[in-house]
Amino acid sequence: MLRKLVAAVSIAVLSAFAAGSAFAAPGGIGPPGPDTPSGEAISRLYWVVLGLCAVVFVLVETALILFIIRFRRRRDTPESAEGPQIHGNTRLEIIWTAIPALLLAALAIFTFTQIPAVQAQGIEDEQHLTIRVEAHQFYWEYRYPAGEVTVNILYLPVDEPVELELTGMDVIHSWWVPALTGKMDAIPGRINSLRFVPETTGDFEGKCAELCGIQHAFMPTTVTVLDRGEFESTLASQQEEPALGKATWEGACATCHGLSGEGDVGPSIAGNGTLSNEEGLKTLLENGQNTPQFDYYMPPVGRGWPPEQLAALMAYIKSSKTLSTAPPTTTTGGGG
Amino acid sequence: MATRTEAMAPTWKEGSVTSWLTTVDHKRIGVLYLVTSFIFFGAAGVMAMLMRIQLSHANSGFLTKGAYNEVVTMHGTAMVFLFVVPVLAGFGNYLVPLMIGARDMAFPRLNAASYWLFLLGGLVLLSSFLADQGGAQCGWTSYTPCSSEEFSPGHGQDLWILGIHLTGVSSIMGAINFIVTIHNMRAPGMTWMRIPLFTWAIEAYAVLLVLVLPTIAAAATLLLLDRQAGTTFFAPEDGGPILWQHMFWFFGHPEVYIMVLPAMGIISEVIPVFSRKPIFGYKAVAFSTIGIAFASMLVWAHHMFTVGMPSYLQAFFAATSLAVAVPTSVKIFNWLATLWRGHLIFRAPLMFALGFIGLFTMGGLTGIMLAVFPFDYQAHDSYFVVAHMHYVLFGGTVFGVFAGVYYWFPKITGRMYHERLAQTHFWLLFLGFNLAFLPQHLLGLMGMQRRIYTYTQGGIFEWYNVLSSIGALLMGVAMLVFLWNAVTSWRTGRRVGPDPWGADTLEWYATSPPAPNNFDRVPYVTSARPLRDLRLRLQERET
Repeated sequence: MLRKLVAAVSIAVLSAFAAGSAFAAPGGIGPPGPDTPSGEAISRLYWVVLGLCAVVFVLVETALILFIIRFRRRRDTPESAEGPQIHGNTRLEIIWTAIPALLLAALAIFTFTQIPAVQAQGIEDEQHLTIRVEAHQFYWEYRYPAGEVTVNILYLPVDEPVELELTGMDVIHSWWVPALTGKMDAIPGRINSLRFVPETTGDFEGKCAELCGIQHAFMPTTVTVLDRGEFESTLASQQEEPALGKATWEGACATCHGLSGEGDVGPSIAGNGTLSNEEGLKTLLENGQNTPQFDYYMPPVGRGWPPEQLAALMAYIKSSKTLSTAPPTTTTGGGG
Repeated sequence: MATRTEAMAPTWKEGSVTSWLTTVDHKRIGVLYLVTSFIFFGAAGVMAMLMRIQLSHANSGFLTKGAYNEVVTMHGTAMVFLFVVPVLAGFGNYLVPLMIGARDMAFPRLNAASYWLFLLGGLVLLSSFLADQGGAQCGWTSYTPCSSEEFSPGHGQDLWILGIHLTGVSSIMGAINFIVTIHNMRAPGMTWMRIPLFTWAIEAYAVLLVLVLPTIAAAATLLLLDRQAGTTFFAPEDGGPILWQHMFWFFGHPEVYIMVLPAMGIISEVIPVFSRKPIFGYKAVAFSTIGIAFASMLVWAHHMFTVGMPSYLQAFFAATSLAVAVPTSVKIFNWLATLWRGHLIFRAPLMFALGFIGLFTMGGLTGIMLAVFPFDYQAHDSYFVVAHMHYVLFGGTVFGVFAGVYYWFPKITGRMYHERLAQTHFWLLFLGFNLAFLPQHLLGLMGMQRRIYTYTQGGIFEWYNVLSSIGALLMGVAMLVFLWNAVTSWRTGRRVGPDPWGADTLEWYATSPPAPNNFDRVPYVTSARPLRDLRLRLQERET
């Protein structure tokens, strides 16, 4: 009785899942998107391999359940009664070795045919936009061909091939915008390339997929795909000192120190002297802080910044009253 | 012989505690391994609960960010190094000499040393939590440069390295012991095609451990030197981060099979006995074990599809990863064929074994999906992988381990477990497990990345997480049922004779629990089922 009840409950729960996933959009039954040709190729492969695996799954589980029902010991059979002593069958072994091998070989060949589409091969020969992605603890710095910089938001023109050159500035990160295409690791000492063609305008949310430290969960990025004209004007406006300074503060500093420097996993830094000391701030941002004499560890968040970015950050701090003067009630925290 | 050792044993060795501290008996060491690893299992399981409480709703503040990363790291490391590998060593220690008709392992003192090193390693690993700047925080894979001195200051990571070293040395010593024992100490007549399939699995487990553990030991040593002696083996400018990943996964992937092959061996023992049939295709099952072990050493870089490898290498590792599915499916088909036309006796060991087949099939199939590397670009480092890996390691290995615990419980303790509690344990665990991990596939495809301490999405994303957390707590309840059953049955369960199941292999020829010398005499072995042969001969004599 108990057994039947539990079985019924499990079946109900499983069907609720199936129904829930079918009605929720997308609900996780397939990869999100796709909004690029490479994302489409991944989705195509996903549905093929999912279909194949689903068929095998149903066959094996059905056989298992049928055998459980059909071959359970009957009440009139004593426990010691033996079943037929069948030791094997060579022909069957050959058949059920060969069939999976052939199916898997076919799957492998189909996978290989999709590689050029998935990796958007060929676009490096066309005219394309190359953007350098520098991953830091805990933000993304995007460097555009003419020297523009944006933090955490990547602006792209629609329908134009793009090649991201990813690298890590401290530890390994992984750039993942699920609706656009698969992820690619950003590894220090190495440049990885990720190519795709965004085909729809709009905002696409992304994240860091490789455990990179204490704020791994909060390393979001947004890809904003715009028409060519809008792309150029927005990118230009983001280079103005107040915009760049604000973006840098919010992306690089506020994740750990709080939006107004009140402190979070990092100490409170509002009004800290280092913020207005150009040389001191530069050294701290480039090297981080990792000595036992301070309570707090700080990553080298400003490694590789162009000089105008540091200037913009300092201007932003100066312009903000809360950051440049110490709050009267709280004491300033440890180092930096 | 027996009287002489008694006379020679100093009196301080006779106390009930000291006799366990100084034992070199493979059965006692096996019990020590089993009990100790189950305690670590409890600790790592509590960590899993903490994570699931933290993730049960969006923006939760139950654990701090640093604490979450420490727990995520230690849950994975402890489950692998302190539970799964040693619990299988425990079964191997207890059973291999009995199964092959030997009186002990080849090197009893080495055996004791490997247990005590495992215990020490476990304590050192867990002490990482007490380190000045927190425990190791870079996941059980401890990728560099996250785990370097620059980004992981303090001694938490160093203690992790030391713990890996100690448990690794322990496993290598144990593995050598298994290999020597299986090769040299089999009963008369027990040829390679007559040894129990569990012993075959332990042979493959031991050979793989000897082949791959030195790689992680080397990698951990180099990391320790980088951290403490200022060397630059894993310096980013020389490709160090990728080197670490290759070294880690060259060990780490075979490790998956090290953890699953002996569980498959347990299944191959349990299914025939509870179907009242011989295993279908003994040779196919034995050779597929070797096939999986061999292929498992050629697939490691499928954990690295997103590090920017050339396409031809990705294609190679995808092809080898798909190839592993062939011997694996051969095993599943042979188990199903063993059930066919059997008289299935639904006791807890069989139920866990059937659970293994059902759940492992799911984990194996999602493994095929992940081997299709363009899909892996999406699923890698997402909860899809977390779900896949738990279907293999929990739905597979842990269900296999429980099948083994219930199957051999009467042999080890001389008492029968409580059947009803055991079946309650099964159903709670089966339900809780699927509730916990089925939604994680969907979460992964919705973009939930691994090892995040919180998320901000609500709606169905949060609901999947709620279900997953409920499932995890249900699994915790199931474990309490198991604990209660194990403790009370060990103390007051019904006493049983040598062979309560009508089994096939030699461990059931010894008394329950076996005498210190295992057997006074061992029958000449003429097939892979010596005990059944003996039963038939006795029946013949009676009629």
